[in-house]
Amino acid sequence: MLDGSNGVLTALFWSVITIGCYAVARVIHARWRAWWSSPLILAPLSVGLLVVLLHTGYAAYIKGTHWIALMMGPATVAFAIPLYEHRETIRRHWPVLLAGVAMGSTMAIGTAFLLASWLDLPTALRASLMPRSTSTPFAMAVSGDIGGLPELTAVFVIITGVSGAALGELMLRWMPLRSSLARGAFLGMGAHGAGVAKAHQIGEEEGSIAGLVMILAGCFNLMMAPLVALMMG
Amino acid sequence: MLKSPLAAFRMLQRTRFVQIAMLGAFWFAGDVAARAVGLPVPGGVLGMIGVLVLLGTGFLKVSSVRLGARTLLAEMLLFFVPSVLAILDHQEFIGTVGLKVVAVILVGTVLVMTSTAMTVELCYRWRAHHA
Repeated sequence: MLDGSNGVLTALFWSVITIGCYAVARVIHARWRAWWSSPLILAPLSVGLLVVLLHTGYAAYIKGTHWIALMMGPATVAFAIPLYEHRETIRRHWPVLLAGVAMGSTMAIGTAFLLASWLDLPTALRASLMPRSTSTPFAMAVSGDIGGLPELTAVFVIITGVSGAALGELMLRWMPLRSSLARGAFLGMGAHGAGVAKAHQIGEEEGSIAGLVMILAGCFNLMMAPLVALMMG
Repeated sequence: MLKSPLAAFRMLQRTRFVQIAMLGAFWFAGDVAARAVGLPVPGGVLGMIGVLVLLGTGFLKVSSVRLGARTLLAEMLLFFVPSVLAILDHQEFIGTVGLKVVAVILVGTVLVMTSTAMTVELCYRWRAHHA
């Protein structure tokens, strides 16, 4: 009885803290617009600090806030609306986007393999790093296929998304990208879900292209996985 | 005031909350379907394809889900916060291995983003020239 109500209270507490920190980070970001003020950096940092300071384990935290992470599902479905509204742009430019996805996916897998080998990281860690440039469910499936650890890949995917979205904002300031197509592909390929969210803040067209590129990249990686597994022997 | 149950439903459909619930239902259906068939495709992606098909065939109007979709997409960064904190459970990354992993991710991501954007931008300009 007491445990049950305690659980509900804990869940409520951490949910309010998470949403509150995010809301405050958004206000701060609207005021300063710097890379460090991105809600993707400020919110996890402040919530993480509270989790550690209050001696709550991650297991207890995620139990109460799992529903927030689950909202990613309905948000993925929501991509259908901008995709539908920008179907003309996509119909006109799909070969260009596909070229970008092929380049980006090859680069992602290739650089992870080369850099991890060069830095002497263990094989399982290297395999877990390789599929990190797609959204979590795709990446976890590929990771298992090529001998990585899916739950480690999930963490790497998120670090990639967070750093990619933050770096992307910084890089867009000096990259000479004339088309919304390139700006969308840039964020969708490099930072998947977080990049798509960032792209939606830049513009609706960028957002829908980033969403499409992310989905294409997921499918591309799934198809490449058997080939990569074969090459790694 | 409300002339019929249908009119009442139309009114309700204009609220953000109901639209989000509708998108949630599509995700749930997609998730159940993906599990049943054993597809390695996320349930959200299946739900998205379902919504796209319904929009394309005219069974669903964009205006009846647009507000909910905009809200979800605008606040998407929030949904990442709980998952990012999973790093708290991976103490083995405090130290050299962690630094190496972060280096691989950062350098790799910058290269991925630059090469993708350059490919798309160059193809775009080439096509614009030769169109």
